[in-house]
Amino acid sequence: MEIIAGLGAGFLEVFQPMNMFVMVIGLVLGMLVAVLPGLTLVMGVVLALPFTYSMGLLPSIILLTAMYVSGTYGGAFTSILFRIPGEPIDVPLLWDGYAMARKGRPAKALGWTLCAALGGGLISATVMVFLSHPVAKFALTLSSPEYFAILIFGMASVVSLGGGSISNAFISLFLGLLIATVGVDSIYGTERFAFGVPFLQDGIEYLLVMVGAYGLGEVFQRLEKGFRGEEKLMGADQEIVTEFPTASEIGQLKGTFFRSSILGIIVGIIPGAGATIASFVAYGAESQYGKRRKEMGSGIAEGIVAPQTAATSSVGGALIPLLTMGIPGSGATAIILGAFLLHGVQPGPQIFVSSGPMVYAIFASLFVSIIGMCILGYFAIKPLVKVLDMPEPVVSAFVVMFCFIGAFAARNNLSDLYVITAFGILGYLFDKFKFPIAPLVLGSILGPLAESSFMTMMVSENNDWTVLIARPVSATVMVLAVIALVYPIHRQLRERRATRANKP
Amino acid sequence: MLNRLLRASPYIVLLICAMYLYHLATQFDYTAPPGRIGPDAWPKLILVMLGAVCVCEIVKNLLVGESFTASGMLDKLMQDAGAEEEEANRPGYPLRLWAGIGLTVVYTLLMDTLGFFVASSAYLALFMIIGQYTRWRVIAAASVLGSLAIMFIFMKIVYVSLPLGVGPFKVVSIALLAVMGVR
Repeated sequence: MEIIAGLGAGFLEVFQPMNMFVMVIGLVLGMLVAVLPGLTLVMGVVLALPFTYSMGLLPSIILLTAMYVSGTYGGAFTSILFRIPGEPIDVPLLWDGYAMARKGRPAKALGWTLCAALGGGLISATVMVFLSHPVAKFALTLSSPEYFAILIFGMASVVSLGGGSISNAFISLFLGLLIATVGVDSIYGTERFAFGVPFLQDGIEYLLVMVGAYGLGEVFQRLEKGFRGEEKLMGADQEIVTEFPTASEIGQLKGTFFRSSILGIIVGIIPGAGATIASFVAYGAESQYGKRRKEMGSGIAEGIVAPQTAATSSVGGALIPLLTMGIPGSGATAIILGAFLLHGVQPGPQIFVSSGPMVYAIFASLFVSIIGMCILGYFAIKPLVKVLDMPEPVVSAFVVMFCFIGAFAARNNLSDLYVITAFGILGYLFDKFKFPIAPLVLGSILGPLAESSFMTMMVSENNDWTVLIARPVSATVMVLAVIALVYPIHRQLRERRATRANKP
Repeated sequence: MLNRLLRASPYIVLLICAMYLYHLATQFDYTAPPGRIGPDAWPKLILVMLGAVCVCEIVKNLLVGESFTASGMLDKLMQDAGAEEEEANRPGYPLRLWAGIGLTVVYTLLMDTLGFFVASSAYLALFMIIGQYTRWRVIAAASVLGSLAIMFIFMKIVYVSLPLGVGPFKVVSIALLAVMGVR
């Protein structure tokens, strides 16, 4: 009852003109960055951050969350219509979405995508509302060993679920954790790795790591590979409309909707996974367990519904650990965490006590955003797709500009520009040498949290680290962390042995 | 052997850096209560783990010559989907890249002197040219009007104090701000 009342008040707050205005802006921007191949969803959310500096906390979070949710949907248009996945999230949509469009039913494919985004989004938002409060209550009972174990699990899953080799992901993570130690330590006031450089004594803000490595680094990579020309897209002149599936057609796929939504929420909750993995995993699950698994890839609705439902439902899942434990599971949620911190609010178990009405307003905004996103996707698909005509060198030049402003505006410090340039070059080198960037960024975000819970644990337990495996909750989480790391290595070694054995 | 050495080289560099940073960590200046770990404990722990991964990779690549490496789930999914093949097969333009990086470094260094408007207009135009965009009117309009629009939004609406520059550049910035109604 308390939840329903809180949510009702949240809806009233969201329908304030300013909040609705920023939500619409967020939805449009999210779709634009998802459509443009040169811009990733995370980069788009990074670029929007400086605009939130002068806003209140609630409109800031509404703007970024709206971008996050619509970013999981916008890229579907170009995947289905032109075979251009705006985001890696949309790659599975190429297999059945584009195939359905090639069979002369692009409007139906778009209709299925819209239903999947709406269904997955609303289910995950509902789960988020009812799960967050108990999770926050549970988190309040945890002490530093459990919290440290959860952080270790988060980092382990980032390494095992992300891109690149696992050893390179580890190195990237350790470098991120080291970056977080630069500056004056908060317990002893000792200067660490600052090399006498004044701006390093203040530490390196993780937002700078993120803006540099994700934003600038990505632009440098694309500059080297060569920007896309202004060639006309195949099928760009076709009439673009959306045709809804009938109620009975939707009813036939209720299993797919349910399965993919649950998968999306679970994957969203796991740090480091996010919408892309949710989309692939749901497609894989449908290919293995779906009623029409043998027809997957031939342009059937299940192949569209599964990845899109999971991608959008991962958003609600990812917001649960962010709001209830202050642990961001993905790049986009890390930026949302940054917006919270910039406004002096620390998400975590206490958030329902300290900022309950605001949390319910965020929940309500997610419901409204999902519905708004689908309305926008239905009516504004043609102009949204038109942004593909924008020349990439022009877009990229402005991306760099916004990266610089975002970095500068946080502290009004020109030295931060040098820092993001350095991280931009590092981001490029990481890509070049196949080191994943996500663990670096997540390491720099989770580093201070991990260090403080590690120090607290060691002080309270008289330097006895075995407490991690002696207490039931922390031991369980540590076992999960080990499984997360060992399983992919074991699986790939087994596959390799099998491949060798099959060779004549 | 040269091939093995090349594969191992990033890890050798990282291992040397980790050892150097560990040495620095042993020299942190602090006074901890007896029996309590100091501010060096956490960085040392990370550096030991970093060093251990690097040693494993060096041994694997240099001594054993093993090229197998377990990859993360996303990597595997994208490989199976063949999603990155097209990107990977595109030819590279290193000259453009280094010109872009050089331009970005110069931009950050000159921003304080030239001011946001002049530095950004020049940067936007040159970046588009390096990116092989050749519609000169669009370049001119996008760089000048874009810089002005950004300056207006951030100084008038978002209240971010962007650098004005020095000498004549400051005069230009202040004149533009006056025209835009920004005090």
